[in-house]
Amino acid sequence: MTESKSGVEILMTKTHGESKALVERLFEVAKPGAVFSEPVVVGDYTLITASETSISMGFGAGFGGGSLPAESADEGAEASSEMSSEGGGSGGGGYAAGRAVAVISVGPEGVTVEPVFDLTKVALAFLTMLGSVFVLGSKMRKAAR
Amino acid sequence: MLNLKDRVQIQTVSGDAAVLGDVKLIPQSRSLTVHWPYGGMVWHRPLAMLVQRGEQEETIPIVDVTRIAQLGFWGLSVLFVLIAWAVSLRQKRRG
Repeated sequence: MTESKSGVEILMTKTHGESKALVERLFEVAKPGAVFSEPVVVGDYTLITASETSISMGFGAGFGGGSLPAESADEGAEASSEMSSEGGGSGGGGYAAGRAVAVISVGPEGVTVEPVFDLTKVALAFLTMLGSVFVLGSKMRKAAR
Repeated sequence: MLNLKDRVQIQTVSGDAAVLGDVKLIPQSRSLTVHWPYGGMVWHRPLAMLVQRGEQEETIPIVDVTRIAQLGFWGLSVLFVLIAWAVSLRQKRRG
């Protein structure tokens, strides 16, 4: 028994294939060129930025259909096939981030690596720790009573 | 069907060398790649810079000070929460 693919099914298969190709391109981020910048010359110094990169994505697709059996179809219906319907949907999401970690400087003094300190991220982590100190303090006070 | 080894990969890779005068720089990085059936993720961070000057060769590590500070604070947070949980548990046992 051979069944021709419906329009929805063809579309979903195409979307699936394109999404797979997109995911394969995602893994190009794993190449070192995505982490180290091209050298930039500033006076006597040549600078290279080293960054941390992270990227993730996912997608999903589904389709389905159904038809009413002939006996349960409305009397006015011409044929049971007219009572069938199908549909599909797909969705996806992704995340990408980059953060400078260090700057490599090549100058008359030699090669040096200057770390980049992200104060905002550290401050947020510090606030998280303050929250846990508050929780600990309240538990200790309760225990002391 | 990919097995776990193919799904999760940790690789240390060396990039293209950059020649600046008599200095040859070879960047090294490490990547964590996770494949799942309909997607994936890549986390890629710089590891070190290999510096070659004539016969001399030196590896300069790239330290992520922000990540170290973050992990320190997060570690302390977990420690404090665990202590608070232990105190609470002890209190309940005492009635």
